Amino acid sequence: MIPNRKKYLKQQAQNGQKIMGVLPALYPRELLWAFDILPAEIWDPPGDILRANAHLQATICPIVKRGLEFILKESASVNAGYLFPHTCDSLQNLATQVKDLIGTSQPVYTFYNPKAQFNKTTRRYYLDLLQDFQTTLETKFGPLNRAKLMAACELGSKIDIRWLTLQNARRADQLELTNPEYFQLVRAGEYLKPEDYLTLLNQVEVQAGPVHQSNRRLLLSGILPPHEETLSFLDELSVTIVADDLLSGSRRFPITQLDTPVDPFEYLTDRHFLLPPCSTRASNLKERIHHLQKMISESQVHGVLFNIIKFCEPELFDHRFLVKTLKQNRVPLLSLETELLPGISGQDRTRIEAFIEMLDEQVSG
Amino acid sequence: MADNCFAGVDVGSLSTDVVIINASGKCLAEVVIATGLNGGETAQKAFDQSLNQAGLAQEQIKAVTATGYGRASVAFATGKTTEISCHGVGAHHLFPNTGTVIDIGGQDSKVIQVDERGRMLDFTMNDKCAAGTGRFLEVMAHRLELGLNELSDPLNIKGETVQISSTCTVFAESEVISLLAKQTPREQIVNGLQRSIVNRIWSMVTSIGIHGEVTLTGGVANNQGLVLVLEEKLGKKLNVPENPQTVGALGAAHIALRGYHK
Repeated sequence: MIPNRKKYLKQQAQNGQKIMGVLPALYPRELLWAFDILPAEIWDPPGDILRANAHLQATICPIVKRGLEFILKESASVNAGYLFPHTCDSLQNLATQVKDLIGTSQPVYTFYNPKAQFNKTTRRYYLDLLQDFQTTLETKFGPLNRAKLMAACELGSKIDIRWLTLQNARRADQLELTNPEYFQLVRAGEYLKPEDYLTLLNQVEVQAGPVHQSNRRLLLSGILPPHEETLSFLDELSVTIVADDLLSGSRRFPITQLDTPVDPFEYLTDRHFLLPPCSTRASNLKERIHHLQKMISESQVHGVLFNIIKFCEPELFDHRFLVKTLKQNRVPLLSLETELLPGISGQDRTRIEAFIEMLDEQVSG
Repeated sequence: MADNCFAGVDVGSLSTDVVIINASGKCLAEVVIATGLNGGETAQKAFDQSLNQAGLAQEQIKAVTATGYGRASVAFATGKTTEISCHGVGAHHLFPNTGTVIDIGGQDSKVIQVDERGRMLDFTMNDKCAAGTGRFLEVMAHRLELGLNELSDPLNIKGETVQISSTCTVFAESEVISLLAKQTPREQIVNGLQRSIVNRIWSMVTSIGIHGEVTLTGGVANNQGLVLVLEEKLGKKLNVPENPQTVGALGAAHIALRGYHK
């Protein structure tokens, strides 16, 4: 049973837990845990966008708009500030707007992820970034306890390892979870305390053999999974999403298992550079396509579903190339565009059904 | 009288179309009526009319495939398939060398790539705006106080033209109002509108690519002016079915036939 996000965070805040609202997507969660801060990620809070539109252009993506709307509501659950990782220009600009122009009762922190390929310089940069972030947090939350950081890294490592196991089990169709249930599990890590999340992941049973009768297997790519209604609709069509290339999913977990942490900062740096290629880290396009092709082949999927968030610049820059290359390689794919509204439109139902009909025809020959 | 017959029912946003074929694929009935408020009732009405037209009793229809946006509302259907697949199959049946199908329907438009057996290989579909759809033409015809037949007159596209937005029906209508206010000749506006709708479709065509012969389906294929503009853009002749509006229903009937024999 996955705890409800709102209720869980409210309860945690009432228990005196420090909670930091974290905008997408990549940040050293272990460092926050070591300061006894619970990161509560803000990706797509529900509700109408009312006040945020007054501060943002019409062509800004709904994640940024919803994030600002949430901040403007001054949620009581967020009591330790907001963290803006450098994910895209829009989120970086939002940090500036919130900090310098709009204002909030909470402190605003930034974390400028490197936007370059791995090399000695970027590695050094990331290590320095961690040190700077530690110093910033210490001014507000007191000195860092190195033992706590070490324990946080070990806990994070256990989550990563368990996650890798579950991902492999999903690929092998050994998880008795519907599409919505699977992504609820993935996304519970956005707000649960690490020990609670690890317990939840450990409760998921890995079956001995395949559990779904369907032979329709898809890979999902994008920033966020589609709305639950769309995921349920895929279940209705006997489609299982067996692998994901989502920023809110597998792109936040290292490709391979890391060694047991020895030096926490070295460990966090290694972890960052072992994440799969991603548009928001300005990864090389060839690396991205290679990674996707590898996932397609290893997961034995019949096609790829891209869930593209409207006006998401980093993802849209890559999307065109990915689509072109995958089509050249005869990989069936479907792109859906979403504004993060609830439900599923009739047109999207038709698109998905037609895509499945196309896959079925190709499979049946 | 045929014993084993098959029906396709296409419940679209503007019209509901029924086609009945026999086991050899011969068309026995073809009915088009306006889709009312209740898609299910309209489908039943159109189906009854088609049975009448073909002189068949309902039990002689061995399988019915429903398609179109209202496909789920057809209670008597034995199966349902998207209109995207149905237009591909229908177009391939009428023109076996079809590689690309352009379907311009009432509320959306699609470009479908099919292989030599009529199987769908790729598709794209617009829906964000009525621009590039039959509804766009209806709105504009109303604004210009023209019937759809007058709007379709190929003579309109021979002369001068004006540029009109191809991204939004509402903005395009505002542009038409401004042009009328400037006393721009109506033929020029119609010419501009036809090119606008084709430009909208063209962006979808280029995203899929043109393969083999191109077949135009959907009610808008009756618009001769638009066909000329599209042919000009393609640089080749289009296949235009005699009854482009019923190609989806025809494809659905063939899918019902195939399914029955599987």
